[in-house]
Amino acid sequence: MENYLYTALFAPLASSLFVALFAARPKMLFTGIVASLLIAISMIASFVLLIDVNTYGPLHVSMMDWISAGNLEIPFGFVVDEVSVIMMVTVTLVSTIVHIYSIGYMDHDKSFNRFFSYLSAFVFSMMILVMSDNFVGLFIGWEGVGLCSWLLIGFWYHKHSASWAANEAFIMNRIADLGMLMGLFLIYWSVGSFQYDEFFASLKTMDSTLLATIGLFLFIGAMGKSAQFPLHTWLADAMEGPTPVSALIHAATMVTAGVYLVIRCGELYTLIPDVGFAIASLGAFVALFAASMALVNNDLKRIIAYSTLSQLGYMFVAAGLGAYWIALFHLMTHAFFKSLLFLGAGNVMHAMHDELNIKKMGGLYGSMKATAILMSVASVALAGIYPFAGFFSKDKILEVAFNEGAYFLWFALFIGAGLTAFYSFRLVMLVFFGEKEYEKYGIHPHEAQPFVIYALLPLGLLAIVSGFLEHTFEGFVTRLLAQYEIHIEHGTEALLIAATLGIALSGIAFAVYMYRRGGFPKSWEERFCYKLLSNQYYIPKLYELYIMRPFSALANFAWQKIDTKVVDLTVDLIAKMVYSTGEKSRKMQSGNLSDMLRWMVVGMIGLLILAFVYRPMV
Amino acid sequence: MEHILSLLVFFPAMAGLLGFLVAKESIRAYGISVSAIEFFLSIILWIGYDSTNAGYQFVEYYPFISSYGMSYYLGVDGISLFLVILSTFITMIALIALSIEKEIKNLIISVLFLEMTMVGVFVILDVIWFYAFWELSLVPMLYIIGAWGSVNRMYAAIKFFLYTFAGSVLMLVGILYMGFLYHEATGIWSFALPDWYLLQVPFETQLWLFGAFFLAFAIKVPMFPFHTWLPYAHGQAPTIGSIILAAVLLKMGSYGFVRFSLPLFPDASVYFLIPVAVICIIMVIYAAMIAYAQKDMKQVIAYSSISHMGIVVLGTFAMNAEGITGSIFLMLSHGIVSGALFMLVGVIYDRRHTKLMSDFGGLASVMPNFATIYGIMLMASVGLPLSIGFVGEFLSLVGFYRISWVMTLLAGTGIILGAVYMLVLYKKSFFGEVVHAENKTLKDLNAKELTALIPLVALVAILGIYPKPVLSVIDMSVQKMLVLMDQKAVLQETKELLFKANTIGGTN
Repeated sequence: MENYLYTALFAPLASSLFVALFAARPKMLFTGIVASLLIAISMIASFVLLIDVNTYGPLHVSMMDWISAGNLEIPFGFVVDEVSVIMMVTVTLVSTIVHIYSIGYMDHDKSFNRFFSYLSAFVFSMMILVMSDNFVGLFIGWEGVGLCSWLLIGFWYHKHSASWAANEAFIMNRIADLGMLMGLFLIYWSVGSFQYDEFFASLKTMDSTLLATIGLFLFIGAMGKSAQFPLHTWLADAMEGPTPVSALIHAATMVTAGVYLVIRCGELYTLIPDVGFAIASLGAFVALFAASMALVNNDLKRIIAYSTLSQLGYMFVAAGLGAYWIALFHLMTHAFFKSLLFLGAGNVMHAMHDELNIKKMGGLYGSMKATAILMSVASVALAGIYPFAGFFSKDKILEVAFNEGAYFLWFALFIGAGLTAFYSFRLVMLVFFGEKEYEKYGIHPHEAQPFVIYALLPLGLLAIVSGFLEHTFEGFVTRLLAQYEIHIEHGTEALLIAATLGIALSGIAFAVYMYRRGGFPKSWEERFCYKLLSNQYYIPKLYELYIMRPFSALANFAWQKIDTKVVDLTVDLIAKMVYSTGEKSRKMQSGNLSDMLRWMVVGMIGLLILAFVYRPMV
Repeated sequence: MEHILSLLVFFPAMAGLLGFLVAKESIRAYGISVSAIEFFLSIILWIGYDSTNAGYQFVEYYPFISSYGMSYYLGVDGISLFLVILSTFITMIALIALSIEKEIKNLIISVLFLEMTMVGVFVILDVIWFYAFWELSLVPMLYIIGAWGSVNRMYAAIKFFLYTFAGSVLMLVGILYMGFLYHEATGIWSFALPDWYLLQVPFETQLWLFGAFFLAFAIKVPMFPFHTWLPYAHGQAPTIGSIILAAVLLKMGSYGFVRFSLPLFPDASVYFLIPVAVICIIMVIYAAMIAYAQKDMKQVIAYSSISHMGIVVLGTFAMNAEGITGSIFLMLSHGIVSGALFMLVGVIYDRRHTKLMSDFGGLASVMPNFATIYGIMLMASVGLPLSIGFVGEFLSLVGFYRISWVMTLLAGTGIILGAVYMLVLYKKSFFGEVVHAENKTLKDLNAKELTALIPLVALVAILGIYPKPVLSVIDMSVQKMLVLMDQKAVLQETKELLFKANTIGGTN
């Protein structure tokens, strides 16, 4: 089985390196095909491993040593257990589809080859991240996906906004990474190892403050990758990247790495419920906060990005409250329907010649039926309507919050569910139905190529049916993850489900009703609330005003004032003083005999005084 | 193999002398061949090195002025082995990439002499000779900056020379006093470092001696606030000067800490641990911020060197094997990465005769290979895992975490700020549209530049993925040194700190 493990891990690397050979050349179709094939091979290997883990249990291999110094030993080790294999299958499945889709989407791009090289490199990094058997190995993947995200957000680097967004994403993630590194250091000095199993085995011997500190540090790392408040602004800006990238990296896989980390460290977070509750609270806040920003945005991709942010919040609620398998389940279903949504949005963008403003679309159903149906399916799944996938996973999270007695969190998520349904269908309505606004701009939309649509079908299918896998999934992953029992009376539970379904349905109904009638009046856009939301609560502005600008000013001050005017000038002054002393005392050497005699007397007096005052060793 | 160290030290200088006889047309080939032979000699040294032995190997000992205990004493251990290889390697690469035509013969001879002093500093075990090599290294560099630099070269060269020279004078006093102490204790004169290692110095005296050595090393590293010669030197030096300066000469200072300060004065090192760490943190943050404010690409990298050297010294003062091994590895990786970055700046300077970032923009589309290699070096510089830059930085910070987590957190901001200035540099120079017409016709890397850069790229990847052969050799000698420190320490607190710094568990 080791061969399958290495195949799953290294096929994406092989793809990336092979395609990189042609990176500088003009488009070659075979690079896309080879890359897709190799990723598909990785997917098949992952599925084989899934079956294998199901039958024989986890697989653990140690490939080779990496770093060793002092007591520290870090190997390249990989573990395929119930959690990592689920992640592997999810990642490779979505990746394969995104690769195939990209052959169509990037068709006219002159950097077609380079794109596939980066995309496959991302898959490799993500596989390292989920398969590693130790924290530093995870950190390799963690930084690797960050690098690929930087490369892919800034893929169209000639655009200022793209390269800016790429840098923002990288730097924000680095801030969080520092927190994570601190957590790793603390783990090392407490346990003497970075291996998951050794760390979990010694959890019982550590006191709770130590555990809480480790838990918080690791979560800071998770906050960066999963774009939790206040490190969330990069995710919306990351939409500058090509849409397949948004689907794969900024919806389905990379951004869920933070959730994966919390799930992976479930044994740790179970012991520190207070930290877990803080995570859940932040998650619930982000769920609502991000959903509110999605309500008013007019940018097709940004709406979906905020929705991703909001759904990540849901996942953190589940993970924070100890329902790890539910968090993982939502992570998986979300990966399916959210990547579908993004890829559908990519089709729309192509049809609209890269127009992103949904107010300029409308009525696209007529010209792109398949995309419209797929996106509607994904939206229904996202809204959490039975029997679509989102219903099963999201509803469970609400039940968890209720079960824990965290009624406030439950209420936030409940409202969030309504908002989600509303903004999803606002998008669907504005894009596919209503007036054909695009005609004013002289655009003639067309459906994507057939193979692109076919590539999306598996995701569409999964968005519909993957919810029914719930019990199989639970049975499988709870071999490793903690069980989570929901003790809510049957009647209450039914009521809760009905309430959630009710608010989601009314959200949809409200959106459909309003946008059938042409949407909200223009005057609403003048209101404070609208402005607050459409400006993302002014947070990017605050960051610019109170962090970036002061930093630049301080940097300039440090350079021009402190370094050149204080530090360096002091050095030069000392040098000049030496020089001028020499220059001045040169006059003593006048060559005049009486001058010299006078100086001799001064010297003699000086020596006499010295002999009188300073008497060592008496 | 018996005299391989002597050969390594004096071969370049002898070849340099012979170089005066070589015709001007063939001097470049001559220089490259000599440095390549020297590099292969250093590789042979590594092959012959017994990695199970932590002590000095290939030792050569001849009395020199025996009545004063001076000897010609050479030896190499895990701490110095790779610094020797780094010196020979970087010299070779820098000579391959050399693009200067003017007075090339004198330049190459200077570089070869410089190589002698660099290798000499790292392998010599007699402290008087060490001092001689240490100071001699200034002369060729003074000449390189002063003769082949840019407009303001005289100021920069003299500043570099006088500043570092002034710092070393105190070290000479320290050396002589240390010799005197040895004589007091044993009745015989000796300036051999292994002899000094056996001498327990009283605590008060340690403090003074530590200070005397510290100034020399701190100026060389350079540590805040003694760093201002560096931006001038880099700003004016020709590419080859910057490469060698950043890659090797700075490492003499940090090597000095490991070789002299820590084992000779363990109590003083522990006593001054926190102040030194504070300076390191200032270096990391302050230099990174200044790097961000720069408009000149070369100055960004010059200041980034200061920032990285802060982590190097911090790792050294972690007082544990993780940190010290990491800091030595970081010296190597910073040597390779900063050398490569300076070389890349040289490449673009040769084409455009400007280093200002505002004169570039969109280079990624004009010079894709250049942009790719620059990108790889940039990622190594910010310490991306699986690149060479991560290993040393990670180990240094891991090590120092044991001393103080707050300080590690502060020093760790270097990984954020490093990403900030490097990515901003990259965005300004490589991304965006090509706005300047001159840039539209720039040629990508030529064969000569690729020959010089590809080995560096390969090392960045290879040592990032498999650093173990290097780390294990360093680690063994470092652990030996830590044992020595523990044995020599006169204060109980020092022993306790050393014990704590090297033991797992009991954190909170």
